[in-house]
Amino acid sequence: MDEWVEVQGKTVDLAVDVAMTELGVTDRADIEVEVVQEPQAGGFLGRGRQEAIVRVTKAPRKRRRRRGRGRNQDDRSDDNRRKNQNEKSPKPKQGKGQGKNRQAAGGDRDRNSGGNGASRDRNEKRQEPKVSKSDSERSADDRPEQAPIEEQAEVAKEFISGLLEAFGLEGKVETRIDEDVMYIDVSGTQTEALIGPKGSVMQSVLELTRTVVQRRTYGAPRMRIDIGGYVERRREALRIYASKLAAQVIEDKGEIMLEPMNAADRKVLHDAVAEIDDVRTYSEGEDPRRAVVIAYSGPRDEEE
Amino acid sequence: MSQGEIVDKVVTYVVSEIVDDKDAVEVNVVQDGDDAVVAEVRAAKSDMGRVIGKRGRVARAIRNVASAAGDEEGVAVDVDFLD
Repeated sequence: MDEWVEVQGKTVDLAVDVAMTELGVTDRADIEVEVVQEPQAGGFLGRGRQEAIVRVTKAPRKRRRRRGRGRNQDDRSDDNRRKNQNEKSPKPKQGKGQGKNRQAAGGDRDRNSGGNGASRDRNEKRQEPKVSKSDSERSADDRPEQAPIEEQAEVAKEFISGLLEAFGLEGKVETRIDEDVMYIDVSGTQTEALIGPKGSVMQSVLELTRTVVQRRTYGAPRMRIDIGGYVERRREALRIYASKLAAQVIEDKGEIMLEPMNAADRKVLHDAVAEIDDVRTYSEGEDPRRAVVIAYSGPRDEEE
Repeated sequence: MSQGEIVDKVVTYVVSEIVDDKDAVEVNVVQDGDDAVVAEVRAAKSDMGRVIGKRGRVARAIRNVASAAGDEEGVAVDVDFLD
């Protein structure tokens, strides 16, 4: 599954952040980052300043264990402390750079090694991460282990069922897990109310569900939601729209910026356009005004 | 059924699910002219950060869902998060 986006930003970190939103990934361990262009400070008055461009690819996620859900900074200092403690012991260390994740089982570690600060501690990473959760003196502020995804799906299902009830709507909530992604499907004729213009309410429902899952189970997997078959209908409409615009862009050898869209819609556009030759996409602006740009990438005439 | 009842239910439900201290959650839906209500949300200080979320993401989602609830009963909804 090669899902990727190219994103521009003031710094590599900022660009990566945006790209993650775009990909619907909340965890740096789930991505690989390739810096296409390093940011340049530029000279006087910022002349010649260059923004960072990164290509961020979704890394396939293996069954992982994670404990934390705090921000990177916290965990990084935690890592540092741990590192110092471990200095003298031969105990294998977990690399940092993965931000909040530490794996108990080895495996896809290297593939997941993108993300911030990944360049540090390369050698450390090579070591077999044999540390199990019961191992090593865990400090008092250690957070509980993330619950298994099946349990998280239950929490999500319960939350949305309760939401339907609060709305006074009849509907059915089903969850399905595929390759560590949780799919939530809400059906029932009345559930249209939870879709909203361009699926905006639906995305908010997902955001809230993610928050609740995170709260209850100390972590959240990648999650997708569909209500009343909306996603497929919207995707088809966007695909048609994208191919029309792409044809226009190719004819003009120019670029078109679309109206602002949520991350899910932008993703559909990126994917749809990726299948068309001579055009590429990127996103510009900050949410909620972030918009996809379709740009010509084919051959140019000689005189240009 | 009084206007804003669904809004009240939905906002109360969502906020309660997010916080640690459910008992401290208080939602007051007040009329704000014709066909408009304001949902005033109070929660424990320690929970407010969660309710707002990073860069206001959770707050935005709550507003969105509250508006959808308002649509069900024909009222425009504003959500105020109060300390």
